[in-house]
Amino acid sequence: MEGVLWYVLASSRGGPTRVRILRALDERPQNANQLATGLDMDYTTIRHHLEVLTKNNVVRRSGDEYAAVYLFTDQARSNWELVEEILETVDPEE
Amino acid sequence: MTPLLTTAVIAAAINVLLLLALGSVWVRNYRQHGASHTLGLLVFAAFLLIQNGLWLYFYRLHPAFIRWFVNAGTDVQIGMVLLCGLETLALLILFRITWL
Repeated sequence: MEGVLWYVLASSRGGPTRVRILRALDERPQNANQLATGLDMDYTTIRHHLEVLTKNNVVRRSGDEYAAVYLFTDQARSNWELVEEILETVDPEE
Repeated sequence: MTPLLTTAVIAAAINVLLLLALGSVWVRNYRQHGASHTLGLLVFAAFLLIQNGLWLYFYRLHPAFIRWFVNAGTDVQIGMVLLCGLETLALLILFRITWL
């Protein structure tokens, strides 16, 4: 999991964007539309990054319905110190 | 040039292009946040870039090497092509997960 997290968040092209999404989800669970509005980003871009994060088992959809919110997986939660370390490295909060 | 030598040259050239693309992502990310994970990948890309540059030099500009390649058996030639060709496959997979 450690290598996956560093790769997906720090060493791939979309890493910085995915860090912004995780920070937003850490504040409160949201659906793709709310994330797009809150981060002022294109909806399809958000959907793409959520799909990458889902495939890599970092976040999961709660339910299957259209407006489902995204939550952290148990795996991400159990590695939370590492997730925070990566978020701080990639995008330090002021 | 024999078809197999041409294939090897093309594979090495594609490797160089893929490594430059991967390296550009990693350089950009490393300059942005300085994570040691990203630096590791950057060093890895730099070494492979040197390796493929050397292959291109031998394949295209080194008469003794080219003569040896042409006169070597098919098994040796295919083996040499696989050295660069399998690396191309590996880098394509890495490119896919890095670019997304």
